[in-house]
Amino acid sequence: MRLDFSIIWGYLPMFGSALLVTLKVTFCSLFFALLLSIPLSLCKISNIRPLLWFADFYTSVFRGVPILVQVFMTYFGIPIATGVKMTAFTAGVVVFSMNSAAYISESMRGGIRAIDRGQYEAAMALGVRYPAMMKDIILPQAVKSVLPSLVNEFIGLLKNTTLIASIGLVDILRVGQLIQAATYRAFEPFFVISVFYYVLVMVLSWFGKALEKRVNKSDRH
Amino acid sequence: MIDIRNLYKNFGVLPVLRGVSLTVNDGEIVSIIGPSGSGKSTLLRSINLLEPPTYGEIWVDGKIITPPDPYLHFEVIRASRTYRHMQREGWDDDAALIREIKARDLLKNHEGQKYHTLLKEITQHSFVDANVVREKIGMVFQHFNLFPHMTVLQNMIYAPTHVKKIPMDQAVEKARALLDNVGMLDKIDVYPGTLSGGQKQRVAIARTLCMDPEAVLFDEPTSALDPEMVKEVLDVIKRLATTGITMILVTHEMGFAREVSDRICFLDEGTVLEDAPPDIFFSTPKSERARTFLEKVL
Repeated sequence: MRLDFSIIWGYLPMFGSALLVTLKVTFCSLFFALLLSIPLSLCKISNIRPLLWFADFYTSVFRGVPILVQVFMTYFGIPIATGVKMTAFTAGVVVFSMNSAAYISESMRGGIRAIDRGQYEAAMALGVRYPAMMKDIILPQAVKSVLPSLVNEFIGLLKNTTLIASIGLVDILRVGQLIQAATYRAFEPFFVISVFYYVLVMVLSWFGKALEKRVNKSDRH
Repeated sequence: MIDIRNLYKNFGVLPVLRGVSLTVNDGEIVSIIGPSGSGKSTLLRSINLLEPPTYGEIWVDGKIITPPDPYLHFEVIRASRTYRHMQREGWDDDAALIREIKARDLLKNHEGQKYHTLLKEITQHSFVDANVVREKIGMVFQHFNLFPHMTVLQNMIYAPTHVKKIPMDQAVEKARALLDNVGMLDKIDVYPGTLSGGQKQRVAIARTLCMDPEAVLFDEPTSALDPEMVKEVLDVIKRLATTGITMILVTHEMGFAREVSDRICFLDEGTVLEDAPPDIFFSTPKSERARTFLEKVL
């Protein structure tokens, strides 16, 4: 068996637009996941019982159902049940952001819990109201401490986006499948795809480390 | 004026404060001392409701910040069903009846409309949100509790600009002056993590003062410090004591308490055993408990 990577050349433009799709889904999902995880984690630390139950139930659903099933459910199932039609892109972003929010809020809960009670007391003693206290005093410190797990979640999210290939969106993985179908070659396209993802993840982790260093500047002694 | 009326605090089933009453007038400096576990810190922390009391009331400048305690208002007790019921049962001495109701904690939730109207009236007339009071009463903690993700300056101006809505430039100016006062102006742009304990506490005091408080609560401000740093912090507090600000201190520094205080309040097992000027308290304590305590610590 001889390997022939030259077959990839013709597909490079396709890889280019596919990479864009992957990145778009990843970043959109990350954005909404972060947005959603804040109220969710606040629910998890609240002492209002129903909010707590809701947040825990939410997390258990997204943890307990395989993510591919969630994708199929959202893209194929929900439109039939409700009549709400979604593009593959929207369905992907909805699932990935809601799924990631469940995991991120869980580590955020830990991060918030780890903040010393004295921080709350100092803020309260200064007359700072709850929303401002959370936004400016507690969450910034909590985010800082969960940043490493956020980067991990981000990487997981990026890799999970390959699942959108299964609902027909042309992401990097889907291009590989197309090449395989057209040329009957599997090693070359999937090798190139592996490299693509590996490089993306490396860039992300490097970026995450740089970010960590930046936010930790206040710990310098 | 801070007026603590018959304060009770239970942690679960453990009673920590058992009927503490204490009035602190404007400009007065009161030190709360006593053995550990006597409820000193709990008492101090209940004044700005970091520790909401179980029973009793706290009044600040004529405003109540706790829910009204029915047992502290005779007219409310007299309006209760229990009172009227017991009256019909043959209790004719009003004072004895009220004493009995208090002693046996007889008031329940269902005491009739008049009872609840009276309680609501107290709230409507005098209640003020704890946050309003917290802006007027600063607090200095044992563990400083500076915000580690903010520089010294940001720590100082956060509450003035966000809570009191003071313009940024005014707040910065005030912060600089206060930092200069405590000898920390050269550290204005560093993060708290780089400071020593004594420096942190001096910044924390300045941060509290940046809100222009009428009173400051000190919760064992030197207990977490290395011995060589205690003096620099005490000196700052002593200087503050001469400015006419109201101060309530929980401290283990007896010499310091004697020097700065107008009154010493000795707490033991959740009750005030003595409340006297420092010279009298330290030379001739009334209670046996205070005598043995002083023998141990002096």
